[in-house]
Amino acid sequence: MQFSRVAEVYESIEATTKRLEMTDLLADLLKHASKKIIDKIVYLTQGRLGPTFSSVEMGIAEKLAIQLVARTTGKDNTEIQMSLTKTGDIGETAELLLAKKTQSTLFKTLPLTVLDVYDTLDKMAHTSGTGSMERKMGLLSGLLARATPKEGKYLIRIVTGNLRLGIADMTMLDSMAIAYGGGKDARNALERAYNISSDLGKVAGILVDEGLEGVSKFRVSLGNPIRPMMAERLSTPEEILKKLGGRCMAEFKYDGERVQAHKNGNQVTLFSRRLERITEQYPDAVELLRKHLRAEKAIVEAECVAVNSKTGELRPFQELMHRRRKYGVKEAMAEHPVSLFVFDVLYADGEDYTLEPYSKRHSLLEGIVLEGERIKTAESLLVENVEDLKRFFKRAVEDGCEGIMCKSVNDDSVYQAGARGWLWIKFKRDYQSEMIDTVDLAVVGAFHGRGKRAGVYGAFLLAAYNQKTDSFETVTKCGTGFTDEDLAKMKEMVDKHKIPHRHPRVESMIHADVWFEPSIVIEVLGAEITLSPVHAAAMNSIRKGSGLAIRFPRFTGKYRPERSAEDSTTTAEVLGMYQNQLRKLKGSTQDKPTRS
Amino acid sequence: MTDARLLRDTFSAIGILIDEATFNLTPENINLRAMDPSRVAMVDFFWPKTVFDEAAEGTGFQYECDQPQKICVNLTELLKLLRRTSKEEAVEMSLNPETQRLQISITGKYNRVFNMPTLEPQEEEVPTPKITFKVQAKVTAYGLRQVIEDAQLVSDHVRIEADTEKLVLNATGDLMGATIELKKGSDALLELQTQEPSKATYSLSYLSEIIKAASATSEIATLEFANDMPIRIDFQQPKEGKLTYYLAPRIEVE
Repeated sequence: MQFSRVAEVYESIEATTKRLEMTDLLADLLKHASKKIIDKIVYLTQGRLGPTFSSVEMGIAEKLAIQLVARTTGKDNTEIQMSLTKTGDIGETAELLLAKKTQSTLFKTLPLTVLDVYDTLDKMAHTSGTGSMERKMGLLSGLLARATPKEGKYLIRIVTGNLRLGIADMTMLDSMAIAYGGGKDARNALERAYNISSDLGKVAGILVDEGLEGVSKFRVSLGNPIRPMMAERLSTPEEILKKLGGRCMAEFKYDGERVQAHKNGNQVTLFSRRLERITEQYPDAVELLRKHLRAEKAIVEAECVAVNSKTGELRPFQELMHRRRKYGVKEAMAEHPVSLFVFDVLYADGEDYTLEPYSKRHSLLEGIVLEGERIKTAESLLVENVEDLKRFFKRAVEDGCEGIMCKSVNDDSVYQAGARGWLWIKFKRDYQSEMIDTVDLAVVGAFHGRGKRAGVYGAFLLAAYNQKTDSFETVTKCGTGFTDEDLAKMKEMVDKHKIPHRHPRVESMIHADVWFEPSIVIEVLGAEITLSPVHAAAMNSIRKGSGLAIRFPRFTGKYRPERSAEDSTTTAEVLGMYQNQLRKLKGSTQDKPTRS
Repeated sequence: MTDARLLRDTFSAIGILIDEATFNLTPENINLRAMDPSRVAMVDFFWPKTVFDEAAEGTGFQYECDQPQKICVNLTELLKLLRRTSKEEAVEMSLNPETQRLQISITGKYNRVFNMPTLEPQEEEVPTPKITFKVQAKVTAYGLRQVIEDAQLVSDHVRIEADTEKLVLNATGDLMGATIELKKGSDALLELQTQEPSKATYSLSYLSEIIKAASATSEIATLEFANDMPIRIDFQQPKEGKLTYYLAPRIEVE
């Protein structure tokens, strides 16, 4: 397939504001891709060269891209800078200047194919050592010299990490289902395969090659991270126990970083919640797992928690931020040591346990983890009544935990990879306050600041994630809680995701000044949730024509770099909070007469 | 000239366009033909064994190759080593067939042996551009270099024009301009044959780098071009040696 076709589809996708249209455009592209290149198209469309967990960074800075465009077009740097000031996008500048290219080539060149593009970019990304920058530039200018202006635009955007099509996993799965599975109904099978492999390209390749049947034979394998299972939330122990059938396994919910460890003999690989490789950040955790897992091969999940180096006391999540680094790992390790609390096992010595009930996995876990000072299984207790649950929760909070996780011990409590469900329910200490809980919301738009805030954004349009429709529905506009420093940082962060119009996956009745591809997630605390005709979250679920809005939102100061936009609080959760709040209100009005 | 500097300068001139160089070695000669990554310029290099024989007088500089083979090296790295040679020192390069590493011995004032890895040879064969040239001008390499340096003061590209009497270079920048004339019979222009008056524009950054590097290996250069066609610049080499460049024109848009 020629790359020009891909570039054309990208352009149409960028032009649309409708998610369905975007899915269909992509489906059509995938339908025409051969088995050999479909995975490559899948990766490139997401701006990568492979799945998140093994993707190599292309690492071309804007400065280099400018030089590259200069070299290929015969324009000088000043002219490129001037155009860049106007367009604000090096991709667009490349397109404009390639169209006005003055430098010809020695021979007529063949049109670029997808394979040419992918192979060259892959070769480029793997180039390292002395003089590698020159070699990278050489490879790229070879591509650019053969590119049409439109192809050049997307090539440059891909290598500089600015593709911004915003095609996340669920959209891609939908398109794959339409293209090869006979319709969206096929998504479930694809999703399962994706959830246990985290590799959309691989799933796509097998789909084209062996059809849905091949996809359904997918199994968990070492080295391919499993997408984490997530929990719903409820605010009272009574509701939780009721929901879980009267009994559950309660577990400390540590305030740390959730990691998935793959052990293969002596080799341990760690994946973050977003499935990025973080092995190098935690040599101490790697060592612990190497020594304390009694299985040749295993996949376990653990919470990695910062501890006081002297007392061993648990420290809050923020301290782990010191461990997010590439250099000076040793020093950070000495200053901010960690403990591991293993809480699930998904695979051990050839057996896939993801479809086994939780109680079975839990007992297996106790056999596999050889506890030590810095590695333990998560503190847990089988509870059958509200009082025990409350006591356990109190203990957890006293020990520095965020709260507890309550897990179903019924036979159907499998590991729902990549899904949020009622088999696990979290109960956090915040719920007990008058305020509603903090929520993690995706930044989808912004409003220009005025006066003191001129030059940065004054407020942000925030959205919750709707899992069913794979879209982001606005739920609040937040301008409070940001320091000047935060505002500057926010601008820098979100501007990287700026797009010319509302993203097709964003539902909004509000017109923001600037729109973003949903990507940045921040934590916000609100005072209450109300019905609102201007916000799109959970539209029509309570009353026709009304969505839900979070009132008096306030940025808590917590950025959530470990979360992708799809990990934001869901609209279903917001709806749940709204209903809870109603119940509480009803409760208090009943109380009133007796008090007064 | 008969020392290792010829080798160093020639490789430098090739290195202007490419980083990784795949040389074809045969018992009779060593050659290379490659385009720069942007496919704007090309270098065509050829040295018969006899080039080495001449150089060998007094320096122990020679060429031996049993069977045809391709060898690819990182020129940038190799040049770093070759730049360590000084006057009247000899260089010996040999490939260790087992390790596939290139061994570079420099002997003279004192002896040193370097070794470096070779790379996967490039398979792509670059054809010779088929162009009917209308103008042929023989110039001194020194003169050519001066002319290009003049033009570079005002612009990043230059229009080259020729009629039967003269060669004219026109450079127009944002603020300044330059016109440089080489008349038949002038010191720099040794010969001029014009079948029909022609003009074409070329990138000065390419021209200047090529000419600067290649003029170290040669005293005489031959330019050939035609209306809006690539320019061919041939730098005269000892014996049957050849060092020729092709550069694609810039298309003037008004």
